[in-house]
Amino acid sequence: MHNTFSIHEGGACSMVIILDGSGRRILRSGASEDGAVNGSLDFDRVVLRKDARINLVYIIMPETRADVDLAVELDGEGAEALVSGIYLCRGEDRVQIDMDIRHNVPHCISRQLFKGLAGGSARVGFYGKITVAQDAQKTEAYQENHSIILSDAAKVDTKPQLEIYADDVKCSHGATVGRLDEEEQFYMRSRGIPEDEAKVLQMLSFLSPVLDNVDDPDIREEISAAVDSAVRNL
Amino acid sequence: MDDKTEKDILQDIAAREYEHGFVTDVEQEFIPKGLDEDIIRLISAKKDEPEWLLEFRLEAFRRWRKMKMPSWAHLDIPEIDFQDIIYYAAPKKDSDRPKEIDPELEATFEKLGIPINERAALAGVAVDAVFDSVSVTTTFRKALSDKGIIFCSFSEAVREHPDLVRKYLASVVPIGDNFYSALNSAVFSDGSFCYIPKGVRCPMELSSYFRINAKGTGQFERTLIVADEGSYVSYMEGCTAPMRDENQLHAAVVEIVVEKDAEVKYSTVQNWYPGDAEGKGGIFNFVTKRGICKGSGSHLSWTQVETGSAITWKYPSTILKGDNSSSEFYSVAVTNNFQQADTGTKMIHIGKNTRSRIVSKGISAGHSQNSYRGLVKMLPGAENARNFSQCDSLLIGDRCGAHTFPDIQNASRTAVVEHEATTSRISEEQLFYCNQRGIDPEEAVGLIVNGYAREVLSKLPMEFAVEAQKLLSVSLEGSVG
Repeated sequence: MHNTFSIHEGGACSMVIILDGSGRRILRSGASEDGAVNGSLDFDRVVLRKDARINLVYIIMPETRADVDLAVELDGEGAEALVSGIYLCRGEDRVQIDMDIRHNVPHCISRQLFKGLAGGSARVGFYGKITVAQDAQKTEAYQENHSIILSDAAKVDTKPQLEIYADDVKCSHGATVGRLDEEEQFYMRSRGIPEDEAKVLQMLSFLSPVLDNVDDPDIREEISAAVDSAVRNL
Repeated sequence: MDDKTEKDILQDIAAREYEHGFVTDVEQEFIPKGLDEDIIRLISAKKDEPEWLLEFRLEAFRRWRKMKMPSWAHLDIPEIDFQDIIYYAAPKKDSDRPKEIDPELEATFEKLGIPINERAALAGVAVDAVFDSVSVTTTFRKALSDKGIIFCSFSEAVREHPDLVRKYLASVVPIGDNFYSALNSAVFSDGSFCYIPKGVRCPMELSSYFRINAKGTGQFERTLIVADEGSYVSYMEGCTAPMRDENQLHAAVVEIVVEKDAEVKYSTVQNWYPGDAEGKGGIFNFVTKRGICKGSGSHLSWTQVETGSAITWKYPSTILKGDNSSSEFYSVAVTNNFQQADTGTKMIHIGKNTRSRIVSKGISAGHSQNSYRGLVKMLPGAENARNFSQCDSLLIGDRCGAHTFPDIQNASRTAVVEHEATTSRISEEQLFYCNQRGIDPEEAVGLIVNGYAREVLSKLPMEFAVEAQKLLSVSLEGSVG
């Protein structure tokens, strides 16, 4: 059974969901007026009515065994979902992210952006599915998943899936699994930045597009600081 | 666009028949329907096979019996009664002319445009033609054998070169690999065998042509290509079948072994009968194709144009075992009416500095479903391995589906895998632009689709490229509207 969180017509909601060793925390911000939303905060399913908007950012910190399972149903025209996240993995971390985005009606937009680092002997799995129903024309659905492997024992599996039954749509997905670029490191080192610091800068800039999606400046600052120190200790 | 012209075009096309849908009237020899150990012994006896091959078949059959039809593909496959299929059909030999090809058969291949006689020397292609279960003829024997190249039917290879066949058979696709390959291993009838010796560059394109003719039969051919050190071969495969209301099964296995510094280019134009506009009939094309880049610096390239078959289930794959080996997969898959395709590739990177590239172009029209399914796997030892995948889907009409199911598994710190996919349709601006310049809608779609698939088509050998371009336009005719 799903724990559903609904956003009513015209409603909007922004949330940052932090998963770390101590569990799951939600920081809410933005214009979620009372009555615009209902449901439990322990949701694994989000339903968006007409013109409703949601912005979800997942922050998965090191030392976490996380299993993120989310279904987003775009049920009303004009709905917009932005779901993004970062994962910072080391040691024995296990992170599995399952995203199921369903465009049930026309004229909706969804964007997904998941980026992360895998060190130690971490295992990361990403399964992201976009389904565009028949007649859900003018859909725009985008999904990106990028991972960087930092150690020999880490492993990343990614399965971006597109299932499209309407023709007038713009859909794309992109996935990469790679390493830190050595030319960039060389560039920085030749300008006097030590190797370790250069790597940290690379990792932080890699993650920053997701952090930019946190719309509340205070929350963003708090999270950026936490991510910064976590990356330095990866 | 003028509504009336569009309607006319649609009707015109609906009335058009599958070009290769004729039936050839030759006397045929069948074995009874159904499948059990006796049937397998019978097939083996008919082909006068050695004991080891019969054992191989029986072993495969025993495994197959324990297996289940795979159901993970995005396909809606009606139940197949494997006991209702004739597993072996062959044109009867005309006793008056034992050494020549049946004129009817020759006419069939003539109609299909296969240069089966030596007079086709102009075409410069060596052909092995398989009609139902037996290989009919292989051309250019002599020219090839002068270079030490073996290119013959599979049955002949078993007789003449048993050591080679024994060494490589099932070395890439093991007997129990999957449901259909096990079935094929049990009942395979004929196919092509090709061996290129060390350092030889095959002077011409090799080609095999498959045709299902007999009613109620299945076709199970087996192709084995071995390219020894430093050799090169370009191999082409084409297929057609007559129009029938029933579904016919085609379950082939292709194995390719590429040794050190050798290169194999494998091209397919698959045009089995796709069924009629209501989705009745057509071939079930369940094929296992796999190659291994065994030695360092070896290269295997797959190019496929898939326009036929009611259902296609096919994943030409490469195991990149040798260091510095590389592989490419270029595919255009077109589905129209009620066709279904679930096709793609697997690239398994084992060796260091291995590279692979995947370019897949799916086009779906009518009520069809077209899926790309692919696996890119980097094993821990695949240092500095590299993969790039590009999967595009083009939708024509609002009742079809286009799906992308890639799977990327990276366990190597230094490997880089990139995948991207897009889905779009032919825009009205593009069509308008063409119409404005006097190109009618039908032709415009052909033009746009050919442009969209160009990257793949340009990889085909010339003999195939022209046919493929024509096929693309024909397969999509009547889909605009």
